Amino acid sequence: MTSRLQQTKGGFNFDNHVRNTMMEGKGMGIPKATKTGTTIVGLIYKDGLVLGADTRATAGPIVADKNCEKIHYLAPNMYCCGAGTAADTEMTTALISSQLELHRLSTGRQARVVTAMTMLKQMLFKYQGQIGAALILGGVDINGPHLYTIYPHGSTDKLPYVTMGSGSLAAMSVFESRYKPDLSREEGISLVQEAIEAGIFNDLGSGSNVDVVVINSEKVEVLRNYAKPNERGVKEASYKYQKGTTEILKTSIRDLVDIKETVNIHTPEAMDIS
Amino acid sequence: MSLRLAPSSKASSAGSASVLDTSNSYGLHDTMRFGMRQIASEVSCKHPLENRLAEWDNTQMELKMNMARNMYGMHAPIKMAMERALVIQARGPSMLPQRSNLGLDILAGKDESIDFEDFLNVPEMSTDMVDVHVVMERQLGIRA
Repeated sequence: MTSRLQQTKGGFNFDNHVRNTMMEGKGMGIPKATKTGTTIVGLIYKDGLVLGADTRATAGPIVADKNCEKIHYLAPNMYCCGAGTAADTEMTTALISSQLELHRLSTGRQARVVTAMTMLKQMLFKYQGQIGAALILGGVDINGPHLYTIYPHGSTDKLPYVTMGSGSLAAMSVFESRYKPDLSREEGISLVQEAIEAGIFNDLGSGSNVDVVVINSEKVEVLRNYAKPNERGVKEASYKYQKGTTEILKTSIRDLVDIKETVNIHTPEAMDIS
Repeated sequence: MSLRLAPSSKASSAGSASVLDTSNSYGLHDTMRFGMRQIASEVSCKHPLENRLAEWDNTQMELKMNMARNMYGMHAPIKMAMERALVIQARGPSMLPQRSNLGLDILAGKDESIDFEDFLNVPEMSTDMVDVHVVMERQLGIRA
């Protein structure tokens, strides 16, 4: 507990910045944050849009989470896929989800996708890219389905099909060769699945399963682990030995604690009221 | 008249003459209380975001005032500044900052939004003790 000169302000605290730069200069860097090193995609089909993501989170060369959720809830009609630093994407989407709820309560209307996009881009610009969150925002509002990408420094794109993350090129190659406008729901989901699988198999930062979210004007379907192309194979032989494989030669049991149970009947003495 | 969208990352001390946070009654750095003065750490090692975030609200307010003046005339920023001053004055001359000023929050639009400062390092939850004596001395103008 130190005594301060002024009341601390809320928000981020930069007190350790000097110490951290000094330590990095001496060779001891900061611990690597968990990144999502990801493939996330979105596309607009005939009635709405489909978002897809893989489920691997990495911390450097190690897989930190084999089945993480990268498609975050923002509003009943909007979902957001996040790539980049895992904590940044989760905290950013949670904060914007809360801001959207306050906005919805204040206006009394369903939130528009541009509102969420503007909130996200203004926040990310304010932090000059230090918040490493690359997002694909998709939702359906009064004006139809909308799909946006938001980069960590705050720039945005509005497109009919998008991919982000380290596996974005693998996924985009699938989209570029097979996307056409006005796909049906099944075609859209299978194209998204193929794009994510291209990222899973061709990019080291993406792996495990495929998550899909389908949003249209009536409902939202969250298809968690829609495809599992990386299931572990069942081992053919079991390494467990059956009971009785090893012969018992001698048995000796020694009680370490003497357990004795005695029941004491306690007759309460009569009260002394003399 | 600056229509600056975002504050600079360097604390601009060029245009303003400011007395140090740690000054004593002579106006110099108080070595007795705060140790030797390290100018290098004051100037070079600041995080690029530190000043940007500290000045963000003030810069946005200034931008709004300047745009209002250009669009509607001098009366618009004067009215906005008057409302702010009334709300600050209504709280009374308190020495130590207590809860956030509700009127100020409503005028700034902060009552209907949530930001990092509302749940990260909330001042009410901090375990640091504010040195009451230094704060009082500075507010009253008596620097020892």
